Amino acid sequence: MGAGLMEGFQVAFSWQGILFVLIGVVAGTLIGMMPGLGPISAIAIMIPITYGMDPSSALVMMAGVYYGAVFGGSTSSILLNAPGISGTVATSFDGYPMAQRGEAGKALAIAAISSFVGGTVSVVLLMLFAPALAQVAVSFGPAQYFALMFLGLTAISSLSDGSTNKALITATMGFMVATIGIDGQTGTTRFTFGNANLLEGIDFLVIALGLFALAEICHLVIKRKDTSLQNQGDIGSLKLTKQDFKEMRGPMTRQSFLGFILGVLPGAGATIASFIGYISEKRIAKRPEEFGKGSIKGLSAPETANNAATSGAFVPLLSLGIPGSGTTAVMLGAFLVLGIQPGPLLMADRPEVFWGIIASMYIGNIFLLILNLPLIPYIAKILKIARPMLISLVAIFSLIGVYAISFSTFDLYLLLIFGVLGYLMRLFSFPAAPFILAFILGGMMEQSFRQTMTASGGDMMALISDPVSISLYIVSLLSFAVPLIRNRKSARQV
Amino acid sequence: MLKTLNQKISIVLILLAAGYLYMSYNLKEYSYVPVDSDFLPKVLGYLLIVLAVFLFFDKSSETEEEKEKRQVPRSEILVLLAVGGMIFLYIFLLEIIGFVLSSVLFVFCCSLFLGYRKHKINAMVAVIFPLVMYLSFNYLLQISLPQGILPF
Repeated sequence: MGAGLMEGFQVAFSWQGILFVLIGVVAGTLIGMMPGLGPISAIAIMIPITYGMDPSSALVMMAGVYYGAVFGGSTSSILLNAPGISGTVATSFDGYPMAQRGEAGKALAIAAISSFVGGTVSVVLLMLFAPALAQVAVSFGPAQYFALMFLGLTAISSLSDGSTNKALITATMGFMVATIGIDGQTGTTRFTFGNANLLEGIDFLVIALGLFALAEICHLVIKRKDTSLQNQGDIGSLKLTKQDFKEMRGPMTRQSFLGFILGVLPGAGATIASFIGYISEKRIAKRPEEFGKGSIKGLSAPETANNAATSGAFVPLLSLGIPGSGTTAVMLGAFLVLGIQPGPLLMADRPEVFWGIIASMYIGNIFLLILNLPLIPYIAKILKIARPMLISLVAIFSLIGVYAISFSTFDLYLLLIFGVLGYLMRLFSFPAAPFILAFILGGMMEQSFRQTMTASGGDMMALISDPVSISLYIVSLLSFAVPLIRNRKSARQV
Repeated sequence: MLKTLNQKISIVLILLAAGYLYMSYNLKEYSYVPVDSDFLPKVLGYLLIVLAVFLFFDKSSETEEEKEKRQVPRSEILVLLAVGGMIFLYIFLLEIIGFVLSSVLFVFCCSLFLGYRKHKINAMVAVIFPLVMYLSFNYLLQISLPQGILPF
C-alpha cells in the first residue's frame, strides 16, 4: 500500500495533478450551485473535456468535480432554501434559518469546514479500508436494504416540531407520490392517468424545489414588506467562536464515520447519509428543540455526512467496479471512456490511478476550503438583493433547474403545483421534510421489499432473518420510541 | 359538525385516500407475483385514512404562532395569485418565445409588480441574468434551453 500511495501522491502533487484537481473542484462547485445540476450532470458535462487527456489526470479532475458539486449544492440550500440535489435537503433545515437570521456567512463557513472534515476523514478511511469494506457492501441484500431504509424513515418523527401525526400524514403522501409511474417489477403503470410524462414518475427536484423554494417564494411575496426581516441581507461574521467549534466537534467526528459507512453501501449514498446524520444528532442532542431553527449541530451533521458519503461511494467503485449510485455509475462511464476498468485488479494493475484519485481527494478538500472560505462574503451577497428582485430570480432559478433535467414544461407545471402544496403545508403546519424523505426512500424501500418477497416466495420472515436486519430494526425502534418516552416524561414533569 | 380546522383537513385527506384506494383497486393484478403493484398503494391508502381519522379526533389546539401564520390579508392573497399567474404564463410562453425573452419579461414585470422601483437596475438585471444563464447553459454546459424566436 505504501509504495502505491507514494505513487498516487506523485500523481496528485504533480503540476498537472494540482491543476486538474483545481479545475475539477471549481467546475464542480459552480455547477453544483445551480439547481438541477448535481454531481451527475457535473460529471457528465465534464466527460467530453477528458477525451484525449491522460487517464490519471482526467480521473483526478472528475473526482474533484464530484465532491465539488456536492459541496456547491449546499450553497443554494443555505442561501435560497433551494436544495438542488437530494443530498443537501437536510442542510437547508438549519442552514436556511441561520441565513434568515443574518448568519449566512457563519452558516456557509460551518458548511465548508464540516464538508472539509467529513471529506478528509473519509478519504483516510477510504485509503485504509477500501477493499475490506467493499466485501461488506456487496453482502447487503434487499432485506438489509429494506431494514436500512426503515431506519431512515424513523427520521420522520424527528423532522417535525409539532404533531407527529401530521408528520406521518405528509410522509404517507410523499410515499404515495413515489408510487407514480411504471412499476419496476411488473411494468404496470400506476396513477399516471394515461399521461406519458408521468410514466417515469416525478423527479425529486420537482418536489424539492416546489416544496422548499417555491413555497419560500410564496412566503417571501407575503412578507416582502415586513421590516422585521430586513436584516436578512446581513451575512454576519464568518468567524467561528470556540463555542461554535465545540458544538461542531461532535457531529463532525461522528458523522465522518457514519457518513462514510453509509456512502459505501450501494444505493444509500449522500442523501440517506445526510438524513441519518441529521436525525442521529438530533436524537442525542441535549437541546433537540433547537434543530430546524438554525442549530449549528443540525447544519454541521448533514454537511459532514454527505461529503463523507461521497468518498465512501468510491469504495465499491474502485475496489469492485460496482457503482452504488447514479453519480458513481456516470463516474464508471468516465472510467470506461478513458480505458480504465475499475475493480479488484485496478489497485495492482494501475496503482497510479487508484492511489492518484485517493491522494487527489486530500488536495481537493483543501482546495475546496481555501477557495470557498474567502468567497463566502461574495456568494452570500445574494441575500442583499432587493426582495422583489430576489423573488423573481429564485423563481427563474428553480424553473430552469427543473427544465434542464427534463426539457419538459409539464414538469414545470408540476413544480408549480408542488409549490402551492408546499405553501399550503406551511400554512397548516404540516412539515415538508418528512414528505421528501418518504418520497426519496419510498421507491427504494418498495423495491427492496418486493425483491425480498420474490426471493423468499412471499415469506415475510425473510425480512428479519439475519443479524444485520434485526440490528437495524432494533436501532429503528429505539430511535422512534426513546424520544416519545422522553417527551412523555418531560410533559409529565411539566 | 366540522368544528376545527383539523377536522376539515382530515375530511379532505380521507377523500384523497379514498380516490387513491379506488385507483389502487383498479390496478392490473398478476397471479404469480408475490407482492403485486397494488400492495403498497393499498397499504398507503388505508394508512392515510387511519392517520386522517386520528387527525379528526386530535384535540390539541393550534398555537398562537400557528394561527398567526395563517392570517394572510386578502390583498396579499391576490398578489400571490398574480405572481402564480405570471409563473404560469412564463411556463406557457417558455417554449414559444424562448427562454431569454420570457425570462426578461418575467423578471422585469414580476419585480416591478412586487414593488421594485429602480427601473434601470431592474431592466439591466432582467436582460443580463437570462442572457448569462442562456449562454452558460447552451454553450458552456451543452444543455439546450428553448431558443424560441431568437436567432441564437
